[in-house]
Amino acid sequence: MELEALQEVHSEIRALGAQIVAITPELERYTRLVHGKSNLTFDILTDLHLKTAEQFGLIYVLPDYLRELYKGFGVTLDKFNDEPEYRLPMPARYIIDSGGIIRAANVNADYTIRPEPSETVRQLSELQKSK
Amino acid sequence: MSSLRDRLDQYKAAFESGAPPYHAPREAIETMHRATAELEASGLAQKALKVGDRAPEFSLFNQDHVEVSSGELLRQGPLVVDFFRGHW
Repeated sequence: MELEALQEVHSEIRALGAQIVAITPELERYTRLVHGKSNLTFDILTDLHLKTAEQFGLIYVLPDYLRELYKGFGVTLDKFNDEPEYRLPMPARYIIDSGGIIRAANVNADYTIRPEPSETVRQLSELQKSK
Repeated sequence: MSSLRDRLDQYKAAFESGAPPYHAPREAIETMHRATAELEASGLAQKALKVGDRAPEFSLFNQDHVEVSSGELLRQGPLVVDFFRGHW
């Protein structure tokens, strides 16, 4: 749902001279599936074993009771992510400027909350104006 | 176009209603709420990288098995990086 909402503003983001990438711990067979199903024009990158999420400080370990519940729903993260530890990234959106510095950061412990794509467009447009 | 917030809220309401198509049992919903509350209380989200920090460089494979590096992308301009959990 979030990726589709980002897709809706992708051309605006490109017009501002910026790009988007989505990052997930999922293996490529699943990123391929999502990319095709949602007709995305930006890349989804596989963060194998969450190495990049770890560097951004986004990792948490699913508690045992939630692991069991997810398994019951067919969400087998060990299989999706080759990740026996059941670690996940907290949902996050960053804007990085061309100098490699983070200019906007939104990290949510509650996965049902995501920043609005229109807000990301606004922040990018401010960033490009301030150059 | 409805906001992402509205769309997520709508989905959440449908899921938590316990009705079809999700048929989510009450205990399952409570378990999920408990896990979210614990993660919020842990303060982990406040420890992640923030505005002003240098972003770590990455080089990862995309959906077509092409390697994409942040350095290459940043040479062309600013970059939005969106971390998400998965297709499920």
